[in-house]
Amino acid sequence: MSILQLALIAVPDPSQTHHWLFPETAEIIYGGISSILVFAGLYKFGWPVAKKGLAARTERIQKELDNAKSTLGGAEAEAASIRKAIGDIASERDRLLAEADTQAAALLYEGRQRVTVEVSELEVRGDADIAASRSRSSDELRASIAQLASGASQLAVVASLNAATQQELIEDFINSVGASR
Amino acid sequence: MSEARNEGYARALVEIAEAEGNLAVVENELFRLARALEQSEPLRKVLTDESIPAARRQAIVEELIGAKATTTTTQLVSLVIGAGRGRDLPAIVDKVVKRASSAQNKDVAEVRTAVTLTPEQETRLAAALEKATGTKVNLKVVIDPNVLGGLIATVGDSVIDGSVRTRLDQVKSRL
Repeated sequence: MSILQLALIAVPDPSQTHHWLFPETAEIIYGGISSILVFAGLYKFGWPVAKKGLAARTERIQKELDNAKSTLGGAEAEAASIRKAIGDIASERDRLLAEADTQAAALLYEGRQRVTVEVSELEVRGDADIAASRSRSSDELRASIAQLASGASQLAVVASLNAATQQELIEDFINSVGASR
Repeated sequence: MSEARNEGYARALVEIAEAEGNLAVVENELFRLARALEQSEPLRKVLTDESIPAARRQAIVEELIGAKATTTTTQLVSLVIGAGRGRDLPAIVDKVVKRASSAQNKDVAEVRTAVTLTPEQETRLAAALEKATGTKVNLKVVIDPNVLGGLIATVGDSVIDGSVRTRLDQVKSRL
């Protein structure tokens, strides 16, 4: 008979205890040893696995934290670049506005200069046109007077050219030619 | 070519007139006819119109001048018109007059007047022009109403202008 058999024989009925709260002493001892063995097994074989799992989880969380940090950094960089771009846009807008103001001022100045010159030229041309028109009118009037005077003188001369005058002119011509040498 | 042809016609006309013995009369009549042709547009048109038969044009010439000119002049003009040289007739006649004058050692003196000159005035005028130019002249008088009054005498390249027309033109240009 083995020790175990002997032990089983020797074990009293579990339903029969000496105390209503505490188990038997042997039960405590065996239970304590068993517990120690169980915890020792757990420590030896379970702890490394649990530790490894915890380390992996820590590493994963750290990685996620790092990723989040990296994303945050990227977002901040992006935000900075957007802020910078906004600043650039504002500065470009200011520059463009300033340039437009300068160009507008230059155009205005040039326009005024040109208009002044054109007005001066128009005045000069107008004066010249007036003078030319006056001169032309004067010339036309003079020409008309000359034409009328010429026509009148021709009519007067022709009217005075009677036979006697014709003969007188012919005689004058003959005499003047004859006396010319 | 035209100049040489006109010269040929002029030489022929002079020789015919000389042969007939009335060169002076013929060249005088030809000269008057040429001037009349220059001044009359309708006459010039009729005599130079190639669409009218030459015989018809010759008949017109004979009808127009037959009674006023010698037979020689009429026939000579008829000859030129019949040959289709009516347009050149004034130029041919000028050469005839020049040749006739040269034969007499004279220069042609063309005088334009508004009224007819008397023979006595023509004689005195010829004498005056000969005295003024120093050469004998063959006086040719042209009645030209445009002269208005007075005379314009052309001897060679010299022009003696005593016309009312020219004086009026001078007054007009001064005005």
